Amino acid sequence: MQDFTRRNFLKVAGISSAAAFTGIGCAANGMRGADKAHVVVVGGGSGGATAAKYIKQFSPNMRVTLIEPNATYYTCYGSNWVIGGFAGMDDIAHGYDTLRDDYGIEIIEDRVTAVDADARSVRLSGGDRVSYDKLVMSPGIDFRYDDMPGISESDADRIPHAWKAGSQTELLRSQLRDMPNGGVFVMVAPPNPFRCPPGPYERVSLVANYFKQEKPRSKIIILDPKDGFSKQGLFEEGWAEHYGDMIEWRAGSDGGRAEEIDVSNMTVLADSGFERVRADVLNFIPAQRAGQIAHDVGLTNDEGWVPVDQLTFKSEMDDNIYVLGDASVAGAMPKSGHSANNQGKIVAAAIVREVSGQEPINPSSANTCYSLVTPDYAISVAAVYQYQDGAMAGVSGAGGVSPSGASSSFRRREAEYTRAWYAGITNDIWG
Amino acid sequence: MKKSHLYLVGLAASLAMAGTATQALADDEITRGQLMAASCKACHNAAAADSGVPDLNRIPADVIVSQMKAFRDGDRDATIMDRHAKGYTDEEMEAMAGYFSRF
Ligand SMILES: Cc1cc2nc3c(=O)[nH]c(=O)nc-3n(C[C@H](O)[C@H](O)[C@H](O)COP(=O)(O)OP(=O)(O)OC[C@H]3O[C@@H](n4cnc5c(N)ncnc54)[C@H](O)[C@@H]3O)c2cc1C
Repeated sequence: MQDFTRRNFLKVAGISSAAAFTGIGCAANGMRGADKAHVVVVGGGSGGATAAKYIKQFSPNMRVTLIEPNATYYTCYGSNWVIGGFAGMDDIAHGYDTLRDDYGIEIIEDRVTAVDADARSVRLSGGDRVSYDKLVMSPGIDFRYDDMPGISESDADRIPHAWKAGSQTELLRSQLRDMPNGGVFVMVAPPNPFRCPPGPYERVSLVANYFKQEKPRSKIIILDPKDGFSKQGLFEEGWAEHYGDMIEWRAGSDGGRAEEIDVSNMTVLADSGFERVRADVLNFIPAQRAGQIAHDVGLTNDEGWVPVDQLTFKSEMDDNIYVLGDASVAGAMPKSGHSANNQGKIVAAAIVREVSGQEPINPSSANTCYSLVTPDYAISVAAVYQYQDGAMAGVSGAGGVSPSGASSSFRRREAEYTRAWYAGITNDIWG
Repeated sequence: MKKSHLYLVGLAASLAMAGTATQALADDEITRGQLMAASCKACHNAAAADSGVPDLNRIPADVIVSQMKAFRDGDRDATIMDRHAKGYTDEEMEAMAGYFSRF
């Protein structure tokens, strides 16, 4: 098993569950536990906003508070459309008005800086405390800049990651717009595990689509530490059909592993220093870990992610804290918005049932990751997940990728469904 | 040690809450079919309906079941629903189908 960062959490869990019995006492006095409990959700992204909304759907009288520092959330899904120049930031912006006004969720626009698991309260950046019976955390990812010599987080305003959407998305877009025809766009892809496995390859596809129209002499190089990637065969089929040899992918074992970034010369050193790749626009996507607050609270394992009971997404470290989304270790489920959305529903049901004294349920959850290769040509990977033998696993016989060699009308339909998926899931989360 | 600790907590909690659980109205309880239907709602809601992805709230339960079976068995053309439908048993399809109008 993992060597947990804070073993004394077991004690904390004991104390906290003892405290929870007080709540149960109230419930027995005629009030259902679900109506009494206060759930605090940290993070209003794909996972957190879903959990908050579905707790209210399942148990409208429960008190739910969502804490998120940004008034507007920009989805990473669709951000590659912005980078490719055929969508605007407004198209990927979502707010919290509906969750507040129609669902009765209390919204606090602030950042959680600490969690006192003993007292069951969180501290906000201004110093205020908010107490909880159950805490849900979906803080997303942070980066491991330390893994790459030569570059640090402060260089992101010149060399964007654009792996959290917002100003980083706009920065990469404007750099591509300013790049001269004939320039070179270099992406340094991240090692596993990372947010959105097909995301880097969708991004280069849509940059290629932009170059093909506006800057056809330009080139794209992907330096990848990996020897393969999600939907690889389908991406390569689409690239060959639409972009000829504009995109060059270098596998890790074939000189693709970046070893250092020379920031002032916009150059990536690879292949034991034999290869120096100069970029006009450089997109360095660092290695990743769970969002910082999960580390601060002591919920992470040695790999930097949060181990959970994958049936309920309850933290292995604390009985009253649930962690979902990209930050969690979720078996076969990819770090995707769709996974986070499913996990939000699982957490919502688990909490409502637990405070009502009921056992957890083991549902099946459907996940689809669509990727656009052009605005009218999409490919997908699908799976149905279920908790089996202690971990989330794909239900056998289901799922898989789009067929290779499919007709252009099939690819076009999948592109229409990509946009439908976006409209649907964002409505399910924030609408 | 950790696991057994959690089991003890769980056991104690279920004993302590036995009284509460019986008070919960059967209709109040979230069921497996309901939670699985919630998963479908990510795509199949009113916002996506314009793009030809049906809003399942508007489809009768028996039609949902028959179409899921058709997707699974290859009797209806699909881009993605065939891949999803293969992940569900007949019983699961039926358990999900009745819930959509209730969200
Ligand atoms: C380019 C790209 C394309 C993608 N495309 C797809 C796609 O097509 N389909 C798909 O399913 N997924 C896609 N994804 C992945 C998807 O965006 C993520 O997997 C998903 O958003 C994860 O949800 P989350 O809730 O874990 O984190 P997030 O959505 O990142 O939410 C985390 C939230 O927590 C808040 N937060 C963090 N720390 C604190 C704190 N201390 N206090 C309060 N709030 C805090 C943040 O402000 C943020 O709003 C893509 C990702 C990228 C980068």
